[in-house]
Amino acid sequence: MNGSLIFKERIYPVLFMLVLTLIFIGIVSAIYLSTREVVLLNESLFLKKALLYAADFPVPEGSTEAEEAFQTHFREVGDGRSGEGYFEILQGQGSQVVGYAFLTSGAGLWGEIEAVLAFEKDLKTLRGIEFTKQNETPGLGARITEQWFKEQFRRKKGPFVFVPEGEAAGSNEVDAITGATRTSEAVKAIVNRAVNEAGEFVGGGN
Amino acid sequence: MARGKVKNTFLDPLGKNNPVFAQVLGICSTLAVTNSFKNTVVMTMGVLFTTTLSNFTISLVRKLIPSRVRMMAETLIIAAYVIIVDVVLRAYLPDIWQQLGPYVGLIITNCIIMGRAEAFALTNPPGLSLVDGLASGIGYTYVLLVIALFRELLGSGSIWGFQILGDWWTNWSIMIMPPGAFFMLAIFIWIIKGVVLKEEEVKK
Repeated sequence: MNGSLIFKERIYPVLFMLVLTLIFIGIVSAIYLSTREVVLLNESLFLKKALLYAADFPVPEGSTEAEEAFQTHFREVGDGRSGEGYFEILQGQGSQVVGYAFLTSGAGLWGEIEAVLAFEKDLKTLRGIEFTKQNETPGLGARITEQWFKEQFRRKKGPFVFVPEGEAAGSNEVDAITGATRTSEAVKAIVNRAVNEAGEFVGGGN
Repeated sequence: MARGKVKNTFLDPLGKNNPVFAQVLGICSTLAVTNSFKNTVVMTMGVLFTTTLSNFTISLVRKLIPSRVRMMAETLIIAAYVIIVDVVLRAYLPDIWQQLGPYVGLIITNCIIMGRAEAFALTNPPGLSLVDGLASGIGYTYVLLVIALFRELLGSGSIWGFQILGDWWTNWSIMIMPPGAFFMLAIFIWIIKGVVLKEEEVKK
């Protein structure tokens, strides 16, 4: 093989890929960095809306209104956003603490399920639940994100018993999802573990 | 001559060489995202953007690409555009980005895009490749929109999230589940091939 052939067959393709890669990495990185702030803002807004929903407050559409509602109703204790700490739920005159909210997670059928749970002051009665991440089967397990499923936890006292869909009657009973047994069990495990551990998690505060 | 070529390049993917119903490419996303009209619009815009610009870019550098690494180069260019779509959606349409989940990233593996790059962009000038990419994207888009329209209407009684059908309507849940996509796509291909394309053949 002579010199020019070595260059053409061996060196040039490598150089070409290197240059092409650098150019496109540059373009993609520039776009990523320029939208980073917006993405972080979206993520924090998403969590705030989830907290508002879980604690049974109206969730405003606009970002400024949601931010305001969050400031009025929540006080972060420790690092609540990463699940290390928790949030105090504030309400009424003088912003009294009426409950606690925290992030929790557990294994679902396909992937991790992350949820925000909001408790009354007794740390047994749920104000509500909101799922912030799930990869369950669409149409079956993913129905945990539907309103009817989340709403049924409100003001019910754990630990919870899951009964066949449409049969929940008692104050600690919720409907499981037909056709999504494993997901229902996963949610049950996550919620009940949170109910059992809520006391020590919030630092014995009652 | 030149104008006729541009016209043919544009019209081919819309009709008899449509990437979805004639070449049966890009089926994964056709089945996966068409259960809601809004998501489908966003997804198809992503594919349209990627096919058009990747075809153009690949054609632009086609004489520089060494043939033994051409697929690597094509994938890299396609992936870059898809990541741009992903990042932009994540920043400005976070709700839809979350619902589409992994499917935005999977545009990279959409065979339509790679297929056009291999079959067209490598051997044709940038302008014509742009037209070809655009037309392939539009060909993909309108098929998906038709399927999504029927799936959301029959499966949820709504279009773009707005309730169209009244209380009397019982949702066909199967339409928003994966089997519904197979039924709709099959019916669509059946009608197109049985009615529209057959007439063209008879004319010849």
